Amino acid sequence: MDDAKTKGRISRRDLLKAAGVGVLAAGIGPAVVIPGRARAANKTLKIVQWSHFVPSYDKWFDPWAKSWGASRGVDVVVDHVSIGDVVPRATAEVAAQAGHDVHMFLGLASAFEEHVIDLSDAVRTIEKKHGPQLGLAKRSTYNPFTRKQFALSDMWVADPGDYLKSVWTEIGMPGGPSTWEDLVKAAPEIKKKHPEMQIPIGIGLSQELDSNMAARGMLWCFGGSIQDKEGNVVLNSPETLHALEYAKRLFSAGMTRAVLSWTPASNNQALNARETAYILNSISAYRSAQDNKLPVADDIFFTPALKGPTGIQLASEHVMSGYVVWKFSKNQDLAKEFLVALVDASRDSALASKLYNLPSFYGAAADPGVPAAKRPKAGSDWVAGQCKSDPFGSKPADKLTVLAAADQWSTNIGYPGFANPAEGEIFDTFVVTDMFAKAATGALSPKEALAEADTRAKQIFNKWRKKGFVGGGSKDR
Amino acid sequence: MNMKRDRFLGAVLLLPALAFIALLVGAPFLMALVLAVTTSSAGSLDVTFVGLQNFRDVFGSPVFRTALRNTLVFTLASQAAVILLGNVLAVALKKAFRGRSFVRFLILMPWAAPIALSTLGWLWIFDSTFSAINWILKVSGYFGPGEWYYWLGDTALGMIAVVTVHVWRMLPFTTVIILAGLTSIPEEVHEAADIDGAGFFSKLFHVTIPMMLPILFVAVLFGTVFTFTDMSVVYLLTRGGPYNSTHVLASLAFQEGVLGGDVGRGAAIALFLLPLLVVMAVLMLRRSRRAEVL
Repeated sequence: MDDAKTKGRISRRDLLKAAGVGVLAAGIGPAVVIPGRARAANKTLKIVQWSHFVPSYDKWFDPWAKSWGASRGVDVVVDHVSIGDVVPRATAEVAAQAGHDVHMFLGLASAFEEHVIDLSDAVRTIEKKHGPQLGLAKRSTYNPFTRKQFALSDMWVADPGDYLKSVWTEIGMPGGPSTWEDLVKAAPEIKKKHPEMQIPIGIGLSQELDSNMAARGMLWCFGGSIQDKEGNVVLNSPETLHALEYAKRLFSAGMTRAVLSWTPASNNQALNARETAYILNSISAYRSAQDNKLPVADDIFFTPALKGPTGIQLASEHVMSGYVVWKFSKNQDLAKEFLVALVDASRDSALASKLYNLPSFYGAAADPGVPAAKRPKAGSDWVAGQCKSDPFGSKPADKLTVLAAADQWSTNIGYPGFANPAEGEIFDTFVVTDMFAKAATGALSPKEALAEADTRAKQIFNKWRKKGFVGGGSKDR
Repeated sequence: MNMKRDRFLGAVLLLPALAFIALLVGAPFLMALVLAVTTSSAGSLDVTFVGLQNFRDVFGSPVFRTALRNTLVFTLASQAAVILLGNVLAVALKKAFRGRSFVRFLILMPWAAPIALSTLGWLWIFDSTFSAINWILKVSGYFGPGEWYYWLGDTALGMIAVVTVHVWRMLPFTTVIILAGLTSIPEEVHEAADIDGAGFFSKLFHVTIPMMLPILFVAVLFGTVFTFTDMSVVYLLTRGGPYNSTHVLASLAFQEGVLGGDVGRGAAIALFLLPLLVVMAVLMLRRSRRAEVL
């Protein structure tokens, strides 16, 4: 063979040799050639985080986490999943006993309590620096029955009422509704003035997050709840029945079957399209209208939680972070350090989310240098100041004032008790939402709907009691 | 010697497939059998034995009974529609006409498109507030004041929507199978029938369908098994709503087992599919063996 021809060509043997050397280099190379890099590769903190409803938050979070890691010689990897994939991803990772170190839940992480480490020391560190966490944050992340701080919350989101001021002004209620009964009264008036509007009152009764929150708010304001403070199942009560009868009246006065099929985005879309005049949601609907420069943005205003006939005025937190560190994680201390740093950055987090996130430790939003004892008040004042003069272009600037005191009318899933795995399973399988939907639409009578939900709730509670994660039972109703 | 070597080679070649089935089908199936009689929860392999408690619980649940009924309705309705429409399309596509290749390509699109993507399109078509169908009906004057179809907010309309999307999705595959069957019928047989004076329906019922039966059977069996175990359309379109009334067994098992974290209950729901699927599998094996003999 001509040498000139073979020159520059690679024989099969050469190729195999080169590949072998390449594989070997890839395997041991980083450790031998770049020792520093090898150390960094060994210290990788992996985090699963939701794709935030306000995209600017992710743009802040990812580089912030990277730079926090870089300052400690750690490679931080952040993977985002959609809100619907948070729980399935957790299930898969626990089953595989591998995956990420830190997992962010929205709502309740309590079902995974046995698979996560206790974060009491991280919470103590934060409380020492910034003062106590909000009651609703503690009740969502701590199990008093097992005495375990199974998650850590850095932020929560309020769930005010969002209403179209022009429409409510036309019917003589410029400040929007203040009681649940106001909705029933207003619906026919809105229909009369705006026959083109499909759903005068847009409260979801679907198998999704917002509906889950709304149904609980309605239940609590009428005096009902799934459990009491001790974890006894008390769903079967005259108060719950009253709430279901109310839902039936509200549905026939001002809602359509559209709300039975809503996704978390549907109420936003309906409000922004002026197809509804009132929704229960965070400020995300408003922010998306602002971002898209929709004229409706200036017409969207907010009300605090509605009062029920009992005088109770409560809404469920809309979304609440619950960061857990898996038992299988090999970077548990690092993960705790990361969570402490994340809480420290609460002010930046609130601003990056355009005030969608509110701090779970209000003290963490205080000015640097404020003494620990004064930080909760100082942080709360800072949050109130931002809400009263929205830095993100609200017209008028004080439009978000209602959020300043949102912690006073917001509570946790599991109210009046703590969150626990049974409440979590009832939430994730939509037992309460379906009860309201069936009663409201007449698919079942309120009594039948209640009986069905009560049976399922007790099955779920009993199962978790047997596993030793939930207390109560002696006073189940 | 050669025979021995061939046997060894055969075993080696079969091994990857057997390992694949054992690891990805056999092991999860055995695990499901175990989990269904335990109190296992999300991600936990707790094997506290509870006997048939999970089965008793789910059978007592009205949501489960609805899902069981829906699974049968979903499978039978969509398979009937797919076979009927698949035959019509296959007959049409067998004829030579201008642009036939392009039409064939278009018809195959739903099969090729990722289901998550295409269902998003359908989600807008059936959206209860902004449904494209409804707006067309409204603009065309079909709807009177206050009239509206809440496609995904009504149990019956929800099931119609689910079946429609599934038919749309399955139709190309069935059409291609039937088209292959039609093409394989020798032209002489049709010519002989023509000479005997057979009309369209005579030929259809006495020549085409009998000769197509084996391949139709495969299409039906495959479609039925696929539909029976499918949860994607239901989950993406209605998520089982309104109030859990459009769940099929697979989507309910996912909701209870994965989202709700009650793996034992989820496994018990999923295993209700087993008896029918076993019958299907036996029928398929027998059919394929008979085809082999022929």
